[in-house]
Formats: sequence, structure tokens, C-alpha cells
Amino acid sequence: MTILLKYFRVWWLMTSHSIQMFFVSRLGALLFLSGKIMRFIFFFGFLLLLFTKTKTFAGYDLNQVLLFYFTFNLIDSATQMLFREVYRFRYYIVSGNFDMLLVKPVNPLFRSLFGWTDILDLITLGPFILMIIFVLTKIPAISFGHLFVYFALIINSMLLATSFHIMVLSLAVMTTEIDHAIMIYRDVVGMGKLPIDIYKEPLRSLITFVIPVGLMMTFPVKALLGVLNFRLVLYTFIFTLTLLFLSINFWNYSLKKYTSASS
Amino acid sequence: MKKYLFVTKNSLAEYFTYRLNFVLWRVRVVISVLITFFLWQTIYSGRREIFNYNQSQMMTYVILLSFISAVVMSTQTFRVAEEINSGSLSNFLIRPLSYFRFNLSRDLADKIINIIFATIEVPLIILIFRPPFFWQTNPLNLILFFFSLVLSTLLFFEISMLLSLIGFWSREVWAPRFIFFILIAFLAGTYFPLDIVPAPLYSFLKLLPFTYLVFFPLRIYLGGVSVSFMATGLAVSSSWIFVLYFIMRKVWRNGLKIYTAEGK
Repeated sequence: MTILLKYFRVWWLMTSHSIQMFFVSRLGALLFLSGKIMRFIFFFGFLLLLFTKTKTFAGYDLNQVLLFYFTFNLIDSATQMLFREVYRFRYYIVSGNFDMLLVKPVNPLFRSLFGWTDILDLITLGPFILMIIFVLTKIPAISFGHLFVYFALIINSMLLATSFHIMVLSLAVMTTEIDHAIMIYRDVVGMGKLPIDIYKEPLRSLITFVIPVGLMMTFPVKALLGVLNFRLVLYTFIFTLTLLFLSINFWNYSLKKYTSASS
Repeated sequence: MKKYLFVTKNSLAEYFTYRLNFVLWRVRVVISVLITFFLWQTIYSGRREIFNYNQSQMMTYVILLSFISAVVMSTQTFRVAEEINSGSLSNFLIRPLSYFRFNLSRDLADKIINIIFATIEVPLIILIFRPPFFWQTNPLNLILFFFSLVLSTLLFFEISMLLSLIGFWSREVWAPRFIFFILIAFLAGTYFPLDIVPAPLYSFLKLLPFTYLVFFPLRIYLGGVSVSFMATGLAVSSSWIFVLYFIMRKVWRNGLKIYTAEGK
């Protein structure tokens, strides 16, 4: 409990620094925020435009497709808010400054994952939650049980995202050449903006069971709509725990290979 | 001229230093094309035509995006802002070369290597996913398509340079570029052809330079457009190139007046 409290304090301290930095470059932050909002609105407009010509999309109606899109944005923004430090991690490795993180009395994985909280993504979380609530009121026959599984799977998605970010960090430790790894993760996860049912086999299975975009982004909404069987829910939890275990082991392995280049 | 060829050659050599990085960048491009491809494939299931595009036209549009982006949008001009902010621009100012031509040569290397990859990727996507692909055979359309690509490339270079020249006045150079790329993603037609939006909005979009970066060349390639559409489009994009050229020169001159080589 004391350790948890200590890490919460450290996280809070790092988050306060991030917020202070936000106020240092206000204009840039506002422009970035506007960009994020614009991106969301443009794609939202595109979906609305699409539904002027069709009633269903991969078997889902407009409200259901919007639910997929909003849920994707919620998970994506929450992930970016928490793990923004991962985007800067390569610099620590290339410059050798990672040494400074290793000698601090804080777990280096914790520091590397949570070192920077993105306030801009935090700002967008509230509106996404409100939009999800609004669209939920438009979808009939949603039970309390389905809602519970939806929340559980969203938390599960956050754990999956954590595992991916740990793997990206480990890759950065092992090979300084990888600059785009985190962006590839973003692009692949972006495939979950819409239900993965739109993708044809074998790609659909690949992004469900190998690169678990489907588990992360589509399964929570499918569970909420009552079209996901219990076995798949169970599989999702087992897959996540296994991946988390493997990613932590990969991180520990990568630390042994760290050469402290340029330091 | 020879010195600029060396700039291109050196930039190509830089790419070969960070090969994996570049390959991963192309993976990103292919993924984004595939997302749009599957999205439209689903929309067309059970339908022959939507938004006045048949499936073959739409799939061709989406697949050729990868090639068009490689030609038009591959650039190194973002480095200009870094060079201004770090003061290393001074190194270029004292050399006997034009900074704009230097950047064009650097961009050329970027484009060569991206085009090589795109010409491998596009046939691979066609071979693997076997979409209905439209092969344009009309010589006029093909000539105008390539001509419009040259115009789009120049237009993109000027816009991107202008964004980097912000560096003379502010260190906030990434945020405007971020917004610009979001605008490009939608207003240039990388998600969908622009003529599917409501007519008044489309008429407005036709006045903006973004429309001529991606949508316009692709629309010419796909055919089925009037000569007046092509002529007007070429006239508007050429006008933008002229206007932006003068703005770019003016901004550059004004920027140099306040440049202090900070950091050097």
C-alpha cells in the first residue's frame, strides 16, 4: 500500500510538471488540441455522410457505428494521455540519458511509461464519455450485464495498450534505430476506428487474435451490443494477461541488453 | 546544377543509413491505405455505385493514394524550421547555393526513394487483394495526370516551406504542421474523393489549394470529367503556385531580416 501511494505521488508530481509545461507553450498546445478536435470532427462528418447513402455498415446501424468510433477515441485518448512519455523515450536511449532514469529510486519502467501525462488528451476524455452516454441512450435493449462487461473490457483494453507500450519501450532499448514503432502501433490500432468486421479474412483474424486490435477496440462494443459470446470475453482476458506477462519479461530482457550508448 | 545533384545524392545516402526507419515509414503508409481500402470495400459490398463512383473507380482512387502521396507529400522541408531554430541555417546562407533549390534537391531524394517503394507496393496490393482496378488508357488524361502531379508537388513544397518559415518568428513549428496534416488528410481527399460532399461545400473546396494536392490528379486519372473541369483545375492550382511563390519569397526575406542565428 505504501509503495502504491509512493508511486501515485511520483505520478502526480510528473503530471503536475506536464501541466505546467502545457501553460508554458499555450499557443502550441491550443493548436494541437484544435488539430485533434478537427480530426475527430472530420471523420465523424464522413461517417454521417456515409450513412446518407446506406442504412447499415457491416451490419451495424449509424448509432452502433458511432459507438464503435467514440469508444475507439476514448481508449485511444486515455492511452495517449497516460503514455505520452513513450513517444519521447528514444531520445533517452540515443542520448544515453536513460542512465539517469536507471539510477533513480523509481522503477524505470514506471518512469518511462508514465513520465509525461498529456493534458490535451485528458481534456478530450470528458466529451468522449458524454458522447458515448448520448449514443447509448439511442440504442435499445442494452442490459446492465452488458454494460458491466463493456467497462471490464475497456479496462482490459487499457492493459493491452500498456503491454504494447512496454514492448515499444523494450524495442527502443534493444534497437536505437526504431523511430516509427510507436507510430506503427498507432496506425494498426487505428484500424479499430470502425468494427473489425469490415476487414476480410485472413486480415480480420490477424488483427483479432495476433495483433489484438479487435480485442482492444471492437470487442468492448460488441459485448455491449450483446453480440460477443462468453468464450471470446474469457479469451480476451487470458490473452491480455499473457501479453502483459510477456511484455514485462521482454522489458527485463531488453534492460540486460542496454549498452548506455552516447552516455 | 551539379552541386544540387550532390545534395540529392547525399540525402539518398542518409536514407540508406537509417534503412529500417524508412521501411517502417512505408509500412505506415501501406497500413493507412489498407484501412481506407477495406472501409470502401465494405461500403461497396452488394452495391455497384455509391456517390457516383463505381467500385473500380473508388478502389483505384484508394490504391493510387499511396503513389500520389509518395510523389507529392514526401518532403524534407520540415528540417528548415529546425535549421532556423537551431541557428544552423547560417551554414547554408554562407554557401554559394540557393536555399530553396537546396531544399528542392533534398526533397527530390525523398521523392525518388518513396516512389521506388510505392511502385513496388501498389502492384503488390493489387496482386494480393485483387481489387477491380481501373487502368486509364486515354493519353490526354495520362498526360494531364502527370502534369497535375508536377503542379501538386510544387504546391506542396511551397505550403510546407511556408509552414517551416514560421520558425523565424516562433519556436512553435510542429503544432501548425500537425494541423496542416490533419487538414490535408481530409481536405486533400486522402480519405474520400472530395466531390462526394454536398455541392456548396465542394464548390468552396475547389477554391482551396489542398484540393489540388491529391484529389485533382486522381480525378483526372479516373476520367469521366469535362475538359473545362481539368482546365479550371489546372488554372486554379497554377494560380496558387504563383501566389504562394511570391508569399514564400516575401516571408523568407522578412524572416532573414529578423534572423539572429540563435543557438549558434
